[in-house]
Amino acid sequence: MPEPSRPARAHTRRTVLKSTAVTAAGTAFLPAVARAEPTALSRGTIAPGESAEITLSVNGRDRVVAVEPRVTLLDALRERLGLTGTKKGCDRGECGACTVLVDGERVKSCLTLAVMRQGSDITTVEGLADGDRLHPVQEAFIRHDAFQCGACTSGQVMSAVACIREGHAGTEAEIREWMSGNLCRCACYQNIVAAVADAAREVRR
Amino acid sequence: MNDGLVGRPVMRVDGRAKVTGAARYPADDPVPGALHGFLVTSTVARGEVVGIDKSAALAHPGVVAVYTHADLPRLTVPTFPYIKGFIPLQGTAVHHAGQPVAIVLATTVEQAGEGANLVRIDYRAEPPTASIDDAPQPPHLPKPFRNRPNEIARGDAAAALAAAEVRLEARYSSPPRHHNPIEPHATTAQWDGDSVTVHETAQGVNLTRSVLSTAFGLPPDRIRVLAPFLGGGFGSKGPVWPHTILTVAAARLARRPVRLVLTRAQMFTLTGHRAEFRQHLRIGATRQGKLTALVETTTAQLSRTEESIFNESDSTSTLYDCPNVHIRQEGVPLDLASSSYMRSPETTAHFGLETALDELAWQVGVDPVELRRRNHTAVNQETGSPIRGKRLLDCYRIAAEAFGWSRRAPRPGATKDGDEYVGWGMATEAHTFAAAPATPPVTASVTIGADGRAVVRIATQDIGTGTYTVIGQIAADALGVPLDAVTAVIGDSALPYAGVSAGSATIASITGPVDRAARAARDAVVALAVADPRSPLVGVPAAEVVTAHGHLFHARDRERRDSYRAVVGRHGRPVETTGTLLNAPGHSWGAVFLEVRVHARLGSVRVTRVVTAHDLGRVMNRRTARGQVLGGVTWGIGHALMEHTAYDRSTARVVNPNLSTYLVPVCADTPAVESHFVDHQDPDSTALGARGFGETPITGVPAAIGNAVYHATGRRVRDLPITRDKLL
Repeated sequence: MPEPSRPARAHTRRTVLKSTAVTAAGTAFLPAVARAEPTALSRGTIAPGESAEITLSVNGRDRVVAVEPRVTLLDALRERLGLTGTKKGCDRGECGACTVLVDGERVKSCLTLAVMRQGSDITTVEGLADGDRLHPVQEAFIRHDAFQCGACTSGQVMSAVACIREGHAGTEAEIREWMSGNLCRCACYQNIVAAVADAAREVRR
Repeated sequence: MNDGLVGRPVMRVDGRAKVTGAARYPADDPVPGALHGFLVTSTVARGEVVGIDKSAALAHPGVVAVYTHADLPRLTVPTFPYIKGFIPLQGTAVHHAGQPVAIVLATTVEQAGEGANLVRIDYRAEPPTASIDDAPQPPHLPKPFRNRPNEIARGDAAAALAAAEVRLEARYSSPPRHHNPIEPHATTAQWDGDSVTVHETAQGVNLTRSVLSTAFGLPPDRIRVLAPFLGGGFGSKGPVWPHTILTVAAARLARRPVRLVLTRAQMFTLTGHRAEFRQHLRIGATRQGKLTALVETTTAQLSRTEESIFNESDSTSTLYDCPNVHIRQEGVPLDLASSSYMRSPETTAHFGLETALDELAWQVGVDPVELRRRNHTAVNQETGSPIRGKRLLDCYRIAAEAFGWSRRAPRPGATKDGDEYVGWGMATEAHTFAAAPATPPVTASVTIGADGRAVVRIATQDIGTGTYTVIGQIAADALGVPLDAVTAVIGDSALPYAGVSAGSATIASITGPVDRAARAARDAVVALAVADPRSPLVGVPAAEVVTAHGHLFHARDRERRDSYRAVVGRHGRPVETTGTLLNAPGHSWGAVFLEVRVHARLGSVRVTRVVTAHDLGRVMNRRTARGQVLGGVTWGIGHALMEHTAYDRSTARVVNPNLSTYLVPVCADTPAVESHFVDHQDPDSTALGARGFGETPITGVPAAIGNAVYHATGRRVRDLPITRDKLL
């Protein structure tokens, strides 16, 4: 059915900035606006099809990207920044393939808009390893054969990093519950649980 | 010599690429200048498009084009592996809800999606039929599909059934289900003159190429299909579907590359499904439980445009010794999308057969495992020829012992633990694996460079099963080089020919060609060495040269040695060889034993313990083989307890086209699985003793769960999934 373009017009500066007001503190977002000509975002209205230039801090690097306000963090990462390690499985927060870390917390990047994440530290699967040295979770996933096709793997790995950090990897049953937001259709669950438990031991050491 | 990598639990060679996000899937490859495509799909299931208003969509910023049946050129409808029977956007007829009626191209993915929302389509709609129960006409026997008859008759089943000492009659059923790989189907088409490159989520790059060749009337060599990685398929990416053809057509019209990714909801109408299925089974047996007659009529959903049956009754026909068999695979056309292959197509009919055998076991008072032993066959029931190397009896023994089956409570409902009834069940597993076609033959090439490294090229796919890794193992063993000296290049139709990664055919069909090509390369390098005056091996008979760890040795004097790198380096150009070998279809078998716990007041079912044993011939890689067992058992749990596509019976639309209401098993739903393999060389294998296996481990699981639920509660559920409303 035809949809009026009302949702796009409804984005005002206030709604766009709401989530960043507390955390942005001028670090990434404000200079970008201040130095530029008035943008759609700074004028307070964004017509359909207009983009705003924003800065996202991804894997420790500031990345400037022009996005419409309706662009999800997932599509900003994949389609604008070329970070295709983060996968789109359902685009409605059901499968977990797009899980990234935002300020250390696991977030389904299809359920958050890019403009809401200015000023946050975003970590994707590409930014997890320390140079050539893989993160203990990545190592454990290889060791335990915790993937087959790999479509869910980026999300599983990011979710596992957070799961361990949250203190939800104490027992196998706990891991099963706290990793159940990430679907694996190949169903490597048993190996994922083993990998998370193993990596949790290593991280704690 | 043989390093013995084949058979070892070698870690996946693509593991690092997959855990770092470096592996590029077909929707990941950057294609400069590509437009984003988005399909507009029909909201009615039966009728006709009578009006299209593109104006609002074309006015939307970023929208470049909107194409409908009025814009697309007429294309030729391909046959298998295009199994839909029609191409959308070729006319006004609507055959199912969710059928594409327009394609929108825009600069960004958001603009394309919003543009699709803005296309206004007017329909003339007719009332559709969405369920076998509502079909106005009785089921009929469709024509044979790919030379497989839908009616099988051996002996005199009617007479044997009438004369049987014991008779059992039951009806089993299962709902439609969808594959739901995590990676959505995606096509990126880039034309260059009259040639096109297609990045495609394909289980068979050559299948996609052949379909596009027919549809567009292009010679195959003008089409290149790329799928270096695949994010799961489970059968849904084996056949080729309309969105692929439409994307290629749209890119040609727009003179721009186009990328189109299906939404999760679109995958419920555009990429096949396991059809709604009914099974009427009548069994005749002796009082000792020996089968004397099997009479089965199945009914599957068909579409208005395609009459193929994908819920095959192979197990009823071939699994047990029974002289009198009559099977009819019938179908009913409904106003739904065409069904297709889904991981282990025999699972639906296998559920009825293995449940009926459990019912028979209780009826005649024989242990279910013993009943299956009494009906075991070492003869191909369809051809009468002996089956060599079948180790199913070993599977029963190994799995039963590991499970502790002998301690099973003798009657249903006898074991309660807290609020839960505990039950044990088992079933046989069996799967028919496919062979690659003989023409063109599956071919691998091996190139050894001046660096001593080997590159294996073959147009097969790694759909997650571990093809990259196993190719490396095979070639490294045959050459006598370390695993990391081999690179497999696959997923490209420009490579030497291979078939589809479906029907558990990959390992069975590519192992022989890869092994042969690698052995030929080894022999060629040895021949160079023994003829080269600069080699320490000059003059040694080739038969007395062995290879290991990247080196060539005199078999009796290992001080005389050379290396692949040195020999090919002195040769001055790479050594390239090819290999081909045909393979035949066959079966793999197994046994699954499991425990369920059924909550006495809630009716919820948990699978708490699973033990499997499988006979797959030689185990090429125990890790990746075990992965197939874990996946299969979990799919069996989904099939038995939750998966269910619901159609609205008045509109024939899917009402749960997403992953929050189409439930698939999550981590917390799955128990630990103890898997055993009867590892042996199948004497008839042309794949180093291995057979096709991947789809075997689902087949028995749904029946084993149902049989365990019966053992726990005394309730026999014959209609899947076993949801709590059926137990309370």
